[in-house]
Amino acid sequence: MSKKAGGRVVLLVLAVIIVLLMLKGTVLREVSSPSIEGALRDACAPIHKIFIAVGNWGKGALTFPLSLLASSRHVRELTEEVSELQGEVRKLEEFRLENERLKKMLDYQSSVVSYTYSPVTVAAVISRDPGNWFDTINLGKGSRQGIRTNMAVVVPEGLVGRVIKVSKNTAQALLITDPRSAVSGLVQQTRSPGLVEGTGGGAGGLRMINIPYDTVIHPDQVIVTAGAGSFFPKGLPIGKIKSSGSDPSGLFYTAVIQPFVDFNRLEEVYVVQKTSS
Amino acid sequence: MKQGLWLLITILAVLTLQVTVLDYFRVAGVKPDLVLLVVIFNSFRQGSKNGALWGFAAGLLVDISTGGYFGLNALVLAASGYLGGEAKTGLYLNSGIRVTVVTLAVSMAAGVFQYLLLAFSGVFVSPWLALVGIIIPGAIYNTLVALLIKLFYHPKMLFD
Repeated sequence: MSKKAGGRVVLLVLAVIIVLLMLKGTVLREVSSPSIEGALRDACAPIHKIFIAVGNWGKGALTFPLSLLASSRHVRELTEEVSELQGEVRKLEEFRLENERLKKMLDYQSSVVSYTYSPVTVAAVISRDPGNWFDTINLGKGSRQGIRTNMAVVVPEGLVGRVIKVSKNTAQALLITDPRSAVSGLVQQTRSPGLVEGTGGGAGGLRMINIPYDTVIHPDQVIVTAGAGSFFPKGLPIGKIKSSGSDPSGLFYTAVIQPFVDFNRLEEVYVVQKTSS
Repeated sequence: MKQGLWLLITILAVLTLQVTVLDYFRVAGVKPDLVLLVVIFNSFRQGSKNGALWGFAAGLLVDISTGGYFGLNALVLAASGYLGGEAKTGLYLNSGIRVTVVTLAVSMAAGVFQYLLLAFSGVFVSPWLALVGIIIPGAIYNTLVALLIKLFYHPKMLFD
């Protein structure tokens, strides 16, 4: 190898080491201050909005005939569901009144702080992560509209993720399906705690780990956010259990979760702030 | 100079498509990597050295636009550009089969390399899920799109 070629190899190795160090140094830093990336995202936001609008229009035009057929079936199903739910609401109203009466009789005062949330804004999804490894979305609103890091992102179906980066006019949210995401959750029926992790990939996978072994878990049980000590308000629906099994240590259960939200079809989301009452 | 400018514009346009409308084309949870395809096709034309350099530049743009891991895509796309260029010098690339083989191999290698870099950065994805859920379907999808692009420009390539 000539001296010149040897020098090039050394330069290449040095360059690779520098990039690897930069890679290690930039692992999911959460910044709210203006940065090159935030400025670039702000600058590209109008173009992304146009592309997303064209994409939505194209999808609507292509799927219109099929959606007509699907909607008539949907209307029939919804009509049946509405009558069932009306009955359920009447029953629940009965329980609510009974609960109020009993509380008064016991002079009950809650000693536990109950967490709830207040909406900050509705934001459009303007772009997504370009690859298949991560699940992040960029929102068309930022700090000017009151968005801050760690605010929860939700849709009517349930929890979507949390805001990790904010610039003036845009924000980036980490979806709960991202492998870097972890949310403390509860099995709604049994109140068993666990940690809901993203399994990565575009398929929108979730799993709940560290579920205590002494609890009964079975498919279709609903998982909600635990709230306390977390960025997320309590009680937000996450998904339902698809299957479960023991983890390798044999001390806990691990469950595969089917999320309520279709993460590939997000168009608008609510950014909400956790408040205590 | 002019060629470089066009390539830069193509990369920017493809990156815009990648982060916006390409999500509508997800199949089995994955979407094709158009930036990777541009890098591979460019390396077929310009060889391994320029292929790697353009791959690095394209990767840096992706890294800046996503703001996650600075250098991750730059290294992966530089390696892909290098591999694509090496394949160009080693193979005659006018037939569809050769485009298929090279795109599939480079996409798979890029996926494995990205997985290793993520592990180095502390992001753990189950190896089975990475291989079966992301790397293999992503590489197949990339290859099909590459074939479509090649077929569009050279409709007779299947009979070469």
